[in-house]
Amino acid sequence: MESTFNLNKFLKAMHKRKGLIIFVTLAFVVFAAVASYTIMNPVYKATTQILVNQNTVNSQDVNSLDINTNLQLIGTYNVIIKSPAILKNVIEELKLDETAQSLTERITVTNIESSQVVTVSVEDSSMEQAVLLANTIAKVFQEEIQQMMKVDNVSILATAEMTANPKPIRPDPIFNMAIGAVVGLVFGVGITLILDQLNTTVRSEEDIEEMAGLQVLGIVSPVDSNMKMEKPLNLSDRWEKDSYADSEQDKKINATKIGGSY
Amino acid sequence: MRTANKTKRLMPRKLVVRTNPHSIAAEQYRTIRTNINFSIPDLTSKIILFTSASKEEGKSTTAANMAIVFAETGKRVLLIDADMRRPTLFRTFQLGNNTGLSNLLLGKGNLKHSVKASGIPNLDLLMSGQIPPNPAELLESDTLDELMEEMRGLYDYVLFDSPPILSVTDAKILANRCDGTVLVVNTGKSEKVSVEKARDSLATAKAFILGVVLNNYPLTSENYYYHNYNE
Repeated sequence: MESTFNLNKFLKAMHKRKGLIIFVTLAFVVFAAVASYTIMNPVYKATTQILVNQNTVNSQDVNSLDINTNLQLIGTYNVIIKSPAILKNVIEELKLDETAQSLTERITVTNIESSQVVTVSVEDSSMEQAVLLANTIAKVFQEEIQQMMKVDNVSILATAEMTANPKPIRPDPIFNMAIGAVVGLVFGVGITLILDQLNTTVRSEEDIEEMAGLQVLGIVSPVDSNMKMEKPLNLSDRWEKDSYADSEQDKKINATKIGGSY
Repeated sequence: MRTANKTKRLMPRKLVVRTNPHSIAAEQYRTIRTNINFSIPDLTSKIILFTSASKEEGKSTTAANMAIVFAETGKRVLLIDADMRRPTLFRTFQLGNNTGLSNLLLGKGNLKHSVKASGIPNLDLLMSGQIPPNPAELLESDTLDELMEEMRGLYDYVLFDSPPILSVTDAKILANRCDGTVLVVNTGKSEKVSVEKARDSLATAKAFILGVVLNNYPLTSENYYYHNYNE
């Protein structure tokens, strides 16, 4: 019957339950914050940079052909770094209680904008461990590649370093809280809409006017129970049960006031 | 403080028109009074019924306050508690309920001696009387018509407070005989469906529906026109 969407009504309903919406939103933000700071384990990231360069002893001049060859090599190297061949050695060297498979998932290898620099990032719950892993991977890779490809064209550009106060990359509390705020807002508005649809009571003059044949004579607002008693409009406000004579007398005295009070 | 408490006990909070004549609610009752006067056909005396779809929507409170604001205009007003199942008027005005409408309908006593002074000028009260086993049959008797004629001769306004219309048939019988019916709706409590049913019941009873009073209507900034003018 009244399925048409009324923006004004919608906004009114939102306004009426703005407390609920704000509460739900805040609850989600607080939940996100608590989850980020206490429940979720922090993840740190350490990065090493490797330079791939054909180190032919004789030729000093570097031409574009060489660079292209190197770029193609990098594609291969990216795969090799994450391959069990390298990672098994890393695990052995560090005596890790882990499989190559699970280690692969924590490693990202990127090559920056068709440059010859390859970045190896390792994520770990401890910054120290992450740094150690990143450096070991780079070192092992550098050693292994010489045997595999029979070349020595990999040098470590920058080792991962342990900072004094490492910042975890995950969780990002601010980001999580922002997500929480958005989800909470959507949730709050959803609840409000549902409550509004479920409420089939008469709530406004418009509701009455929608029912054909009924007009609103007036509204009566609830009385504030703390309201102070006012001075009565006329003298007869003794609520002791006046006799007829008394009330008749009062009527005469206040004849001018009665009916003129509004 | 003691006197204040005493006054509080003597003047129940329900009668806000009396206890706080300058309050917003009192002004709202006066607005309703004006609207009723404009809606009702011009008669020498007007018999108005207050009813609602279900119980506890504010019929008695509205009727009592309306009776007071009608009396304020200097017209003679009679407020009748026609709810012979759950009478409340005697409690609102803190009077006895030994004689009243039921006695009159049974042919015992006369109107002049049965009405009670309310303590408010121009306002008389008729209690429900002893609770009869058959209120609907009593109301359907011709005695009610005779009684109404007698009331027309004595009062300018006669207000009936009735049981809820969807629960018992009493209100339908009364609505058929009154000049106009006011439907009290409790904002946020009354279901739209039951208000519609009440409207249909009144239509079946060939009642003249004056309109709806929205009770317990929360004041918002939109209702600026009701703000206290005196302050």
